[in-house]
This record gives sequence, C-alpha cells and structure tokens, in this order.
Amino acid sequence: MASNTTSTHPSGRIKFIGELGAALRAQQPLFVGLCVIAVLWQVSTYFLPRIIAPPLQEIGVAMWQIFSDYQQFVHLLTTGLRVFVALIVSFIVGSILGIAMGTFDEVSKYAKPLLHFIQGIPALSWVVFAVIWFANVELRIGFILLIVTMPAFALYIDGAVRSVNLDFVHLGQAFRANWTQRFRMITIPAIVPEVMSAWVVNLGAGVRVAMVAELIGSTTGVGFQLLNAQALFDMAGAIAWTLSLVALLSVYLGVIRFVESRLLAWRPKGERQ
Amino acid sequence: MTGPAPILFANVSKTFFKHDGTPFFACRELSFEVKAREIVAIVGETGCGKSTSFNMLLGLQKPDVGDIQVLGLDPFSESDALRGQVGIIFQSDRLLPWRTTIENISFGLEVLNIPLTQRRQTAGKWLERVGLKGFEDAYPHELSGGMRQRVSIARAFAIEPKILYADEAFTALDELTAERIRKDLLELIRETAITTLFITHSVSEAVDIAQRVLVFGRPGCLICEINCEENRAAGKSTHEIEQLIRQGLRVAHKTMSAEGAGEGVATDEVVRAEGSTSKGREPI
Repeated sequence: MASNTTSTHPSGRIKFIGELGAALRAQQPLFVGLCVIAVLWQVSTYFLPRIIAPPLQEIGVAMWQIFSDYQQFVHLLTTGLRVFVALIVSFIVGSILGIAMGTFDEVSKYAKPLLHFIQGIPALSWVVFAVIWFANVELRIGFILLIVTMPAFALYIDGAVRSVNLDFVHLGQAFRANWTQRFRMITIPAIVPEVMSAWVVNLGAGVRVAMVAELIGSTTGVGFQLLNAQALFDMAGAIAWTLSLVALLSVYLGVIRFVESRLLAWRPKGERQ
Repeated sequence: MTGPAPILFANVSKTFFKHDGTPFFACRELSFEVKAREIVAIVGETGCGKSTSFNMLLGLQKPDVGDIQVLGLDPFSESDALRGQVGIIFQSDRLLPWRTTIENISFGLEVLNIPLTQRRQTAGKWLERVGLKGFEDAYPHELSGGMRQRVSIARAFAIEPKILYADEAFTALDELTAERIRKDLLELIRETAITTLFITHSVSEAVDIAQRVLVFGRPGCLICEINCEENRAAGKSTHEIEQLIRQGLRVAHKTMSAEGAGEGVATDEVVRAEGSTSKGREPI
C-alpha cells in the first residue's frame, strides 16, 4: 500500500515536468524573437547615443534594481494589485449586468447602447474626468479601470448567455430543472469560454489604462515611475519598467491560461487555445 | 387497463404564424392517448406536427386550444410536478460537452437534488447497464455516436421515470448501430414496463418497437392507428403490418398535397385500410 502511494508521486511530478516542458517548447518562437531583438538592440547601441539606446547591461541592472529593491518593487506590486482588484470588481459588475442583459431583453435594450456609448469614450478622457472628480488616487484609478473594462465583460457575457445552445436549454426544461439549476448546470459552464476570452482582452486593456491613469493621476505605480524616467531622460529605466510590466502581464496571462485549461479541460485539444 | 391514460391529447390545436402573418396549423384538433405501460409510436412525414406535439408534451409549448395531460397534469402549467416523472431521449444526444459520461447520466438526478454519492452510484449502475463500463470519465467528444446515444438512454432511465419519450432517437445513427441500440432499448422498456411514446420516421422501427402505431398527417392530425399486437394476433406478418402503416402514410400524403402544404383544414377523409382504425378528426 505504502509503495503504491509513493510510486504515484514521481509519476505525477514527471507528468508536470513534461507539461511544463511542452509549454516552454510552445513559447520557443517568442524566445527566438526576443533574442533577435536583443541582438539587434545591442548592435544599435554601438551606433546610437546612450540616451537613446542604452546597452543591455544597463537595462539589466535597472531591472535587477526593480526586482531586488523593495522600494522600487512595491511600485510594480501596486500596479499589479490595482489591475487585479479593479478587474475582479469589473468582472463581478460586468457579469451581473451581462447575465441580466442576456436573460432579459428589456435590460439589454437599454443597457447595450449605453455600454457602447461608454466604450466609445477614449480612456484618456476618463482619466481626465477621474482626476477632476476624485481626490483619492486609488478611487480615481479604480474608477478608470472599472469604466474601461466593465463594458467589455458585460457585452461578452451578454453575448455568451444569448448564444447558449438552445438544445441544452430545452434539455434542462424537459428534465424540469428550475431556473437556478439551469443557470448552474447549463448557462455557467456554457459561457466559460467567452468569460475567459473577456479576461484576456480586458487584462491587456486594464494594464494599458492603469499605466495612463498612473502617469497622469498618481504618485505610485509603474506609470508614475515611467513619468520619472521620462523627466530624468533615463531610457534604461523606462525600458526596465516597461519590461517589468510586460513580465507582470505575462504572469497574469499565465494564471488565466492555467485556469482556462482547467475549466475547459473538456474541450477537444484542437478547440483549445 | 384502469385509471386515466398517462398521456392524453384531447382536441389539441396549435397555430404558428409565418413572417407575412398567415397562420400555419402545426396541430389541428389532435386527439390520442397512450395507456399505462403501453408502447406507442407516432409516424408521419416531415411537417406533420410530430415535433410540435413532442414540444407540447414536454411543456416547452402551450397548445392554443385543447387539453394535454401527462400523468393527469398539464405539462406546461404544472411542469414542476412532473419533475422526475418523464425520461427523454432526443434525436441528437444532447450530452453536455463539459460533463463526463457519468455526470451526464447524473443530470436528471441532480435536478432531483439526489445526493452526490447516491447519484454517482445510480449513474454507474445505468452506465454498466448500457454497456459503457470503463467510460465513466470520458467526455462526449471522446465517444462514438452510438455510445453517446447510449449515454442519453441511460440519462433518461436513471431518474426511473414513469413515462419515456423518444424523439427520432436513432435517426442520427447508422443502420447497424441503430438496430443494436434499438434492441437494447426495447429490452430496457420491457424490463421496466415503462409507458413509452416514440416518434419516428421509420415504419419498420415503429413496427419493431411499438404495440400501437399512430399515423400523423398534416396539419398535425391523426390519420389512422394500427394496433400491431392485434394484427399480429390476427396472423399478419410484420411486412403486412408495415404495409398497413405505409397505406396510412400515403393517404396522409395525398391529403397534404390536396390541402396545399398543410395550410388548410384537417382532413375529414376516412381511411379505410384493412386492419387500421380510422380516426380522422374524431377523438379516440
């Protein structure tokens, strides 16, 4: 019995290592592309002034400082936390609205044009409005992120609820499942793929908007650090902060892909992203 | 047979409207009944109201006129009271793609709020019964068409219903697979003595399964009914019974042609096929 228990662990670990290896192999083109850019960049540093194209070592040092110095790292964490919390709130509000829109035509009739109208307003305008309306920085950034990302969540989920296969809805009705049961057993699993797509789209939008909001209306976060780098003509710092933000975004995307792979394990391999 | 019929259609009419507002009669003064533990098949050409009747039986649509009763209850307004009483096998298997085989079979049991352990046990029993042991954790896309339909049969029986509806359950399968599954299903129906209503395009399938066959014509009316058991007892062969049904279908077809694609009124023509009972617009 004991030998059985111990023997399952290594095989599980091997499987995990295998999956990790496959995931890394899938990213091979990205690594190759990044290497090419790095080489080209390094070559350009021999021909261009340092202020325009700092050498890779300098960027590396700047990045090391961001990740090793807590005073700097906290700015990255702040941006990350802001995006995370705002997207969670935005997802909750967007889901409630999207489900209501997908379920009741009257809600959709009035909410949809309004959401499209909100989406039509440039993010920068919302930043200006928020700076005027809110004194509190966190509230300001939270509001901007919410107003920019929530409509996409709501519209994605509305569309997903509407496109739930009618055969499945009828199956639920034929088995006399009540509304709650149909929602739990049919609607929610059916809309998961769309929800995950909405997360991917909104994550990118959220990070970009957070950046702009911090650049204009905050004294913390990566956006503020980029503003500092600009003021000091610190190109290496600007690139380092940008790369650290990309790294943060990649971590978030990785988490989303992980959740997606678990929730959509039922899909045939060819249909998975 | 005592007590009220588990399935009763009394003068049921249902009209739909086309884009230009002209009415289209899906069912017109349709009357029939299915007695307890009886196996009845409905045959008819496309557009003769079979699916509309099926949807009304499921409570998905409400008749404009007339009365439908399933176990003495109105399936549309008293839908909740019929929970767990009716098992359904659809034309397409309608397995939920995000559920494993065992979870799909458990669907109806979950609706009935049966505890997880018990429903896994029951689903496992039915999985074995339909010959899919070992496929508990397979997703629908990992199963063949025949296996998927077997899962949907297990899902229908798992709730131990009093009535079974099957809407062209084998149409999507190849002939050999359909024949095998039909044989197994018939065995299950007989074993559980469940009241069964079958909708099918296939005359041979109807004769193979049913004790009584109802021939539908357009617009959703009963042209005639053939009692297979009585005909067999009278010495008629399966082929002869099939011929009787085909005769009824030909009359239905002529009626439809004469009335112009089902937009007219129901037929008053009396079918006088030997061994069949004319129903026309009269309730049974």
